[in-house]
Amino acid sequence: MSANQELILETNGLTKRLGGKPVVNAVNLKISRGDIYGFLGPNGAGKTTTIRMLLGLAKPTSGTIRVFGKDIRKERLAILRKVGSLVEYPSYYGHLTATENLEAVRRLLGVPRSRIDEVLSIVRLTKEAKRPVKGFSLGMKQRLGIATALLGNPELLILDEPTNGLDPAGIQEIRELIKSLPQSSGVTILISSHLLSEVEQMATQVGIISKGSLIYQDGIQQLREQAKGRIRLGVSDPESAWKLLLSCGLPADWDHGKLSLTRTDNRTVAEAVARLVEHSHLVYRVEEETASLESIFLEMTGSEGSL
Amino acid sequence: MIRMFRSEWMKIRRSVIWLLVAVSPLIAALFGLFGLKKGGEDFPWIEALSLMSVLHAMFFLPLLTGIYAALICRFEHTGGGWKAILAAPVSRTQVYVVKFVIVMLMLAATQLLLLIVLLLLGLSHGSAEGIPWRELASSFIGGWIACFPLAALQLFVSVAFQSFAAPLAVNVVLTLPNILVANSERFGPYDPWVQPMLAMIPRDDTYGYGAFNLPMETLFGVVAGSFVLFFVVGWTYFARKAV
Ligand SMILES: Nc1ncnc2c1ncn2[C@@H]1O[C@H](COP(=O)(O)OP(=O)(O)O)[C@@H](O)[C@H]1O
Ligand SMILES: [Mg+2]
Repeated sequence: MSANQELILETNGLTKRLGGKPVVNAVNLKISRGDIYGFLGPNGAGKTTTIRMLLGLAKPTSGTIRVFGKDIRKERLAILRKVGSLVEYPSYYGHLTATENLEAVRRLLGVPRSRIDEVLSIVRLTKEAKRPVKGFSLGMKQRLGIATALLGNPELLILDEPTNGLDPAGIQEIRELIKSLPQSSGVTILISSHLLSEVEQMATQVGIISKGSLIYQDGIQQLREQAKGRIRLGVSDPESAWKLLLSCGLPADWDHGKLSLTRTDNRTVAEAVARLVEHSHLVYRVEEETASLESIFLEMTGSEGSL
Repeated sequence: MIRMFRSEWMKIRRSVIWLLVAVSPLIAALFGLFGLKKGGEDFPWIEALSLMSVLHAMFFLPLLTGIYAALICRFEHTGGGWKAILAAPVSRTQVYVVKFVIVMLMLAATQLLLLIVLLLLGLSHGSAEGIPWRELASSFIGGWIACFPLAALQLFVSVAFQSFAAPLAVNVVLTLPNILVANSERFGPYDPWVQPMLAMIPRDDTYGYGAFNLPMETLFGVVAGSFVLFFVVGWTYFARKAV
């Protein structure tokens, strides 16, 4: 955790009640300069609602938001000048071309006109720049949305599910694009997703939100530690084997089906097998199982299968 | 504020909205062409003004106010534009005021076009002298000013509803009774939707609507009062709206 670094974004007890229930519940986000912060959670967890509040599009029920050290309630415009965003789905005017869409936003931001060509080339839309956006594919609209977010040379880029609804090739393309950003422009990025795998390769920090509450917030490295493997043991009678291993002081785990060892060093494994054989357990399999980050994520958010 | 206008201009300059500006003046032109008695020596300016503005002021002007307001909000609703604008460094008040001013500018363009049509008609009659500028100006500017409260309410409704049909329905429901209300001495003066008509049609006119015999101050009070009310309600709503 980059604790000694300057906090770009910080929320304190951020809460939003909609229709009587807390959709975002006492969330404390902490994002440092230069982070690529993966904001994860299943659909309906409250990611978009949180992001809306960060941008001043919706008011928190309670809690505070500080961006660049400034309170959003008092200095919203000063903050927004340095923030680029894409919320939920890209905003566009269908009857205008890509260039005209960017020009409409550019006039609000007051950045030089040359910036339009720059962002178009970053998202590789230069060739399509003169076409009306209503004829764009979803992926092109997403790229235009990212171009719009980049237009004002933001210090903080907030992207809400920028790959939603894209095919794998489109997802890959957006991912490459986002990965290339911070090196080239030094921005801090908050990117939300309902798939850990999508941000896993680019995020430096991870925040996991489930049912409105932030249940995990730390470096991606720390999450990987948690995902370190275990040894699965296939035995004739898992329950009594589990009791035996525990009585020998070995780190065994039994989930009413599978028996496993939560330490993977050779000595532990060797001793466990020896004990089991000693007590006439039949040992069918000893195999290493590396939990994927995704399964840890699923376990944390309590959602099975597809999110 | 200027930046905001230039951004809005970008969005409407290539919009279908401009076709609508021409509709009412063209219909009024037909009225003028076929409705006026031919062959008189002088062009009957006041009669032509009454004839051409009655349909315009009673229906088109109020309806167009609603349609313009709905159209300039429509592309924000469908394309997610509100989020983009409000996440930009501009205040919500600025956004709302600029949208309102644009509706009023479109209405001014409509009025101007109708005036030009009327002038062309008169000039083609060869009546370059005796153009009653005072009456024309008070009619066209008065009609435009009377649209302020309507524009304020319609902008509020258009901002509030995602759908395009809802603001138009409100618009039609409030405009259609004009035909009855204008004749009523009791309600006519207090219905904002009748005001464009009361302001535009010459007062000594032969149609003799019931609400016409009222002091100007009453009418002005109704227009100003309802405008302030509608605008403040709409602006307060927009300032708090979650997008
Ligand atoms: N206007 C609203 N009224 C009531 N509940 C809402 C409203 N908007 C969103 N919600 C609820 O808030 C929850 C969080 O939504 P959202 O922030 O969009 O989640 P995410 O972006 O993580 O998918 C959802 O359960 C959704 O049903
Ligand atoms: Mg969402």
